[in-house]
Amino acid sequence: MNKENIKAHKFGMVIDLDKCTGCGSCMVSCMSENNVPFKEDESNKKDSITWMRVYKLTNGKSFPDTEIVYLPRPCQHCGGKGDHGHSPCVSVCPATATDYGYDTGIVSQIYTRCFGCRYCMGACPYHARYFNWWDPKWPEGMEKYLSPNVSPRMRGVVEKCSFCYHRYQAARDKAYYDGREDIEENEYQTACTTACPAGAIVFGDLNNPAHRVHEIVKPDPHPASNNPNVVGKSRNPNVFRLLERLGTNPKVYYLSEREWVRKAGDNYLEGEWDKIKNHHGSESHG
Amino acid sequence: MKVDRRSFLGLGLGAVAGFSVSPVLLKLTDDSSIWTQNWPWTPVPVDGEVMYESSVCSLCPGSCGISIRKIDDRPVKIEGLTEYPINDGGACLHGISGLQYLYDPSRVKTPLKKNGDKFEEISWEEAVSLVSGKLADIRNAGTPEKLACITDKNTGSVSGLFKRLLKTFGSPNFYIMPSLESYLELTAASLHGKGTTIGFDLDNSDFILSFGAGIIEGWGSPVACFKANASRKERGATLCQIEPRLSNTAANADRWVPVKPGTEADLALGMCAVILKNNLFNAAAAAGFKGGFNKLTALLQNDYPLSKISEITGIKEADIEDIATQFAKAKMPVAVFGKGRGDGSQSLKELVAVHTLNCLVGNINKEGGAFVQPVKEYLEFPEETMDDIADKGFAQAKLSLYVHDLFDKVNASSQPVVEALLVYQSNPCYSLHDTKAVKQAFGKIPFVVSFSSFMDETAKEADIILPVHTFIERLEDIPSGAGLSKAVVGLSKPVVKPVFNTKHPGDILILIAKAMDGSVAQSFEWETFDECLETAAGDTWGDLSENGYVILSEGVPKIPHEIDISFLSKAPDSVQPTGDGDLLLIPIDNMRLPSAAQAASPFAVKTVSDEELKGKDTVVEINPKTAKGLKNYDRVTLTTPVGTAKVMIHLSEGIMPGLVGMAKGLGHSFDNKYVSNKGVNINELIGPVIESGSGLDAAFGIKAKISKA
Amino acid sequence: MDSALIPEGANRCSFPKFAVGIAIVGAVVLWGVYAMGLIWWKGLNQTNMNDYYGFALWIWADLAVIAVGGGAFFTGLLKYIFKVDELKNIINFAVIIGFICYSSALLILAIDIGQPLRGWFIFWHANVHSMLTEVAFCLSCYFAVLTIEFIPNILENRQANKVPFFHHLAHNMHGVMAVFAATGAFLSFFHQGSLGGVAGVMYGRPFAVREGLLIWPWTFFLFTWSAAAFGPCFTLLVTRITEAVTGKKLVKDNVVHLLSKISGWMIITYIIAKIIDTIYWATVTVPGLGFNISHFYSNNGFYGYWILVTEILVCGVIPGLILIMKSTRENPTLRLIAIVLGVIGVCLNRWVMVLQIMAIPVLSFDTWALYVPSWQEVATTVLPVAYGIILIAVTYRYLPVFPQEKELNRTKPVTE
Ligand SMILES: Nc1nc2c(c(=O)[nH]1)N[C@H]1C(S)=C(S)[C@@H](COP(=O)(O)OP(=O)(O)OC[C@H]3O[C@@H](n4cnc5c(=O)[nH]c(N)nc54)[C@H](O)[C@@H]3O)O[C@H]1N2
Ligand SMILES: Nc1nc2c(c(=O)[nH]1)N[C@H]1C(S)=C(S)[C@@H](COP(=O)(O)OP(=O)(O)OC[C@H]3O[C@@H](n4cnc5c(=O)[nH]c(N)nc54)[C@H](O)[C@@H]3O)O[C@H]1N2
Ligand code: SF4
Ligand code: SF4
Ligand code: SF4
Ligand code: SF4
Ligand code: SF4
Repeated sequence: MNKENIKAHKFGMVIDLDKCTGCGSCMVSCMSENNVPFKEDESNKKDSITWMRVYKLTNGKSFPDTEIVYLPRPCQHCGGKGDHGHSPCVSVCPATATDYGYDTGIVSQIYTRCFGCRYCMGACPYHARYFNWWDPKWPEGMEKYLSPNVSPRMRGVVEKCSFCYHRYQAARDKAYYDGREDIEENEYQTACTTACPAGAIVFGDLNNPAHRVHEIVKPDPHPASNNPNVVGKSRNPNVFRLLERLGTNPKVYYLSEREWVRKAGDNYLEGEWDKIKNHHGSESHG
Repeated sequence: MKVDRRSFLGLGLGAVAGFSVSPVLLKLTDDSSIWTQNWPWTPVPVDGEVMYESSVCSLCPGSCGISIRKIDDRPVKIEGLTEYPINDGGACLHGISGLQYLYDPSRVKTPLKKNGDKFEEISWEEAVSLVSGKLADIRNAGTPEKLACITDKNTGSVSGLFKRLLKTFGSPNFYIMPSLESYLELTAASLHGKGTTIGFDLDNSDFILSFGAGIIEGWGSPVACFKANASRKERGATLCQIEPRLSNTAANADRWVPVKPGTEADLALGMCAVILKNNLFNAAAAAGFKGGFNKLTALLQNDYPLSKISEITGIKEADIEDIATQFAKAKMPVAVFGKGRGDGSQSLKELVAVHTLNCLVGNINKEGGAFVQPVKEYLEFPEETMDDIADKGFAQAKLSLYVHDLFDKVNASSQPVVEALLVYQSNPCYSLHDTKAVKQAFGKIPFVVSFSSFMDETAKEADIILPVHTFIERLEDIPSGAGLSKAVVGLSKPVVKPVFNTKHPGDILILIAKAMDGSVAQSFEWETFDECLETAAGDTWGDLSENGYVILSEGVPKIPHEIDISFLSKAPDSVQPTGDGDLLLIPIDNMRLPSAAQAASPFAVKTVSDEELKGKDTVVEINPKTAKGLKNYDRVTLTTPVGTAKVMIHLSEGIMPGLVGMAKGLGHSFDNKYVSNKGVNINELIGPVIESGSGLDAAFGIKAKISKA
Repeated sequence: MDSALIPEGANRCSFPKFAVGIAIVGAVVLWGVYAMGLIWWKGLNQTNMNDYYGFALWIWADLAVIAVGGGAFFTGLLKYIFKVDELKNIINFAVIIGFICYSSALLILAIDIGQPLRGWFIFWHANVHSMLTEVAFCLSCYFAVLTIEFIPNILENRQANKVPFFHHLAHNMHGVMAVFAATGAFLSFFHQGSLGGVAGVMYGRPFAVREGLLIWPWTFFLFTWSAAAFGPCFTLLVTRITEAVTGKKLVKDNVVHLLSKISGWMIITYIIAKIIDTIYWATVTVPGLGFNISHFYSNNGFYGYWILVTEILVCGVIPGLILIMKSTRENPTLRLIAIVLGVIGVCLNRWVMVLQIMAIPVLSFDTWALYVPSWQEVATTVLPVAYGIILIAVTYRYLPVFPQEKELNRTKPVTE
């Protein structure tokens, strides 16, 4: 693949946790955009398919010093160690049913190829992958609202957030039709981004300095000095990624002014956080 | 050739070997996997041409603009409409789930008539003649005032037609369900005079003092509030949230001040006292106060010393003083009221007390403050024709002031005080306090007609159900309200042919009216609702139909207003919760669960936290200090003077000790397995408490006990 | 009744008694098959797995049977390549046990995947980066090898052996068996290793991840080594059980002592490596990812340090020591204790490397996920055990599995 191609996109997201209200619009917009099924009891969150899941975090303090933050979690579209495209899930799938798009940075999922071994689910530390334990069933007549852009999945396969890949395809097709080489920032926006009433989600090309997501994240293209597996660290001190030190290299970034929230993004040994919190951004940035 | 055992064996083995090397096996293997990729029971959505249509969502008072993506004739996705003056892109989860309402198999698909315990299908002709016949009987008996009607709001053409029907029929008994807009008008009526309403300029305020208003819990126009809250972060505006529980709004605020429930009015008045004492009020504004400014000042100075307020509210004196001072000194402060979504029970004393803060600092009709102006009217119906019966009936006194009181009256009387009831776009049997009593009242009303799209709790109690189009199937003017700083009327359009044998509520009313005689029929001379709307909208219609919306007012109102504080000067009492339990049960509003007319969609239910709903059980929130050895998901029995429920426990440090928080919007009991029979309806556990002086049901909670199940 | 099929000179119980025994175990098989049918028909919703717990009881069983089935490749390696000739007296049985284990593993995989009819995509659309691809290829190939190793033994059945072709085939296959044993050992080395790699490469899971050599994490080598070490324990255990059930001595003590001794030294070397690995992982790998190892053993209702201690000390060091010392090794009771502990130890290791991984929260705001298997999972996990018992009973009855049986039981009257 054209790994070296400078024009390759690297689509990513930054979610402002101080703006996020936990309202769930992103979750529902995603379900409705991507033909996600629903079943009678969805209160067991460990078998409830939510490509976008909004976690509730607390600072662990007691009343009245408690704080809450909501953390929306789509698939992180991990670039894998060193950002070479070997995402935790992609590298383990025996049937190449999930793949890394070097031209987009998007981790795909091919439902008709997946044979349901669930190894990818074990490998993903973000629980972004969901298994179709049941046949998807829509109440009679309701299948009329299904979108033809995303194929409904069958029982026995894994599914997950695709960064609304079909929207990218549509934008690309339109650009091609109009005789343009590339798509505009606003032409490809995911369903969760456009739905968010708080405007907490910003989506775009992390490789394109003109895109808002790049402006906010200011990703460092060089590997982190203390961990060569980590690439693309943000140079914005308020921006962090989930489990960054594992070297998964997510393309979903989070933004918060609250220190405890940033700290909750990863695991730290005692005392470790205090040493790095003030220059949590990229080392090469200082 | 002799076929012996050995050659038979050989042949068999040969056949097996031959078969295994032939392509047949490979082909079968391949075919079987392809079959799994095309299981006939997995739907394949039909492709077609993509189109977008704009409309307005009317699932809640938010009135957001929406864009509906269609594949040929099939709507497949609802999203927020960019550049719509209320939401400008973005939509809430309920609006986005709109298509699940449209195709909901538990919709009422055709007119129904109750026969014993069951409903039977009838034709529209039969339904209309049944209803008009029954109404005619009441009218002919000379008791037209015994027809009552409940809808969701006062404004808009459909409510207008219901009102018109009642008036020309001869009944004053038109009621609306409590809503934030109704409370705003009530508060405005008390302080600024009848016919006015209040909007809050949250987009520009630099200090928002919220007395429990769930700015991001669905209060007001939800998406607009979300946007204002998000922009607050960029503008550096402060949000100070006062409420007993760490709601999402409290969590998102700059400052959360836990207050003992039911003492918010005292807190607001205490803050007024601080502002007065420290001379932080706007003298020019105060100079115009009518109704006893001096009396109020004296009252506040005497009855609301900081120490006492601190004790009542559980908030430190310094904090009260500090917040009051920050509020008064801010450039563009605004105090907002209406706990939770603002559509539940409220105390007028509290609403007025909080709004008095606005009045005192002089932010009425200033940028970033509270906008007070007359309710915008854009519709003009032709003058009703009134006959004698109509005149006489309509001149009678209303049975009660508010809807909950109406049902009390029905229950209290042995004679039917209401002979027939029309219910539209509301679900009183679910959303009023003490639903058992409400249902009992429904049982005592001889003839109940429900105009509903869904077989909800109220429709189930009706004698006739007239199924109406959902908002996706019908043309309707959708006026905004809900505390917005601007007034907009949007046009909701039919983007899909009706899925079932339903009708437009306006068309149904025209049919019913035409089937009657006298002033009623003469007052409904339109052929269709569309025609009615077009004529009533008059000059507005052109822009409305062209742009999909009309902005009726925007920006700071440049009109004088008066402030009359006589209500407070009379020192009304605060409401006390009933019962003798050691705990206080309070309702929790949450964006993901609608609590009013519309039940949640399957998608919305899917998003509900397992800290609120687990399997079929409601999970209540209590502080670990209150829990006394209970663990998460322990089952307990919750008892109040009104009812009992089995619930589960969730320990949370975000709720004040001594309280039990329970989500509103659960416990529906109609036939939809994705939405219903999940948890308990909190209104079955809380009874109304009438506020003296206003007549409102102001129950903010109820005393409760918990025992291990 | 079936005496014509029974090996010459062998003493077997009456057919009705045998049939009753088979019927009882057969009932368990039917229960398992019923559960299997349910799972294929209705899908994996018949299990209690969920999106947090994508690998569950039977994947553990799968890894465990492959580990204990390791006795086959290792004994084969010793017998055919290293020419440890005494082991010819137990190699047939080791192969049968291996065959049972590997066929069971394949069956479990066929039940485990969400789309059994697409299972072959793992070969057709193979991803060379995936440890599971390596597992699938080596596992299938090695199963073929085991079948080939098993065939001569089947052909030695009294009736089959009367057919000259079969007789010669069996004889010649024995002759070339070294080639298959070598291939088998190689394949087995890789798939045991890749099974270890399955966990070790999951760098999103700090409990599982290990550094390593080239593309192989240390768990790759540890799995192979542990299978070679504990596999013979299982062979010896099943032999001992068979002896107990049949009331006959089937393998001479010197053979047992030899295999025990080899197993003992393998266990000791393995457990030293395992301890080094654990210490390195706990003090370097895991803290580097921000975790204290206490994170993996606290705040939940099941997993504590006990599991680590049990696996490494009680079921590793102790059996290893017992088996390397002559006095304890040759004490039948202590030896039995050692091989039982060894089998438990390796099974526990596989449990930890499959199930504990899934249970541990990685995101700082996530919680432990514990799970209880459904009856369908239990039934399908018991199914291979019951099937194994039947296969052993049948092969023991009709095939000359133990070359020393006749010699060791000469004193007893022959009922034929
Ligand atoms: N029900 C039903 N099933 C069918 C068929 C049918 O007609 N009906 N047709 C069958 C046939 S003929 C085929 S070919 C298959 C097709 O089956 P699939 O290959 O599953 O087809 P899609 O669902 O269109 O796309 C698969 C995934 O690839 C992503 N994707 C698309 N382009 C790219 C890309 O460039 N990079 C990355 N990383 N991801 C990408 C999409 O977003 C989607 O998640 O379906 C088969 N299955
Ligand atoms: N928009 C869009 N276009 C696509 C794709 C997409 O995902 N989206 N996918 C592409 C791909 S991967 C593929 S394979 C193609 C498939 O495109 P097509 O080959 O057009 O496949 P279908 O539309 O499934 O069916 C073709 C026709 O064959 C008929 N047919 C069925 N069985 C038989 C038979 O036995 N004999 C005869 N004579 N006719 C039969 C069917 O009724 C149907 O009318 O579409 C491609 N085009
Ligand atoms: S839609 Fe926006 S505000 Fe709502 S939960 Fe999602 S990210 Fe947060
Ligand atoms: S979040 Fe999980 S599923 Fe998504 S790319 Fe990363 S490892 Fe894969
Ligand atoms: S479950 Fe599907 S996508 Fe995941 S690893 Fe297995 S085959 Fe690949
Ligand atoms: S990017 Fe698209 S697929 Fe992913 S969570 Fe958002 S809406 Fe869902
Ligand atoms: S906030 Fe109200 S009006 Fe707006 S989309 Fe949601 S339900 Fe509809």
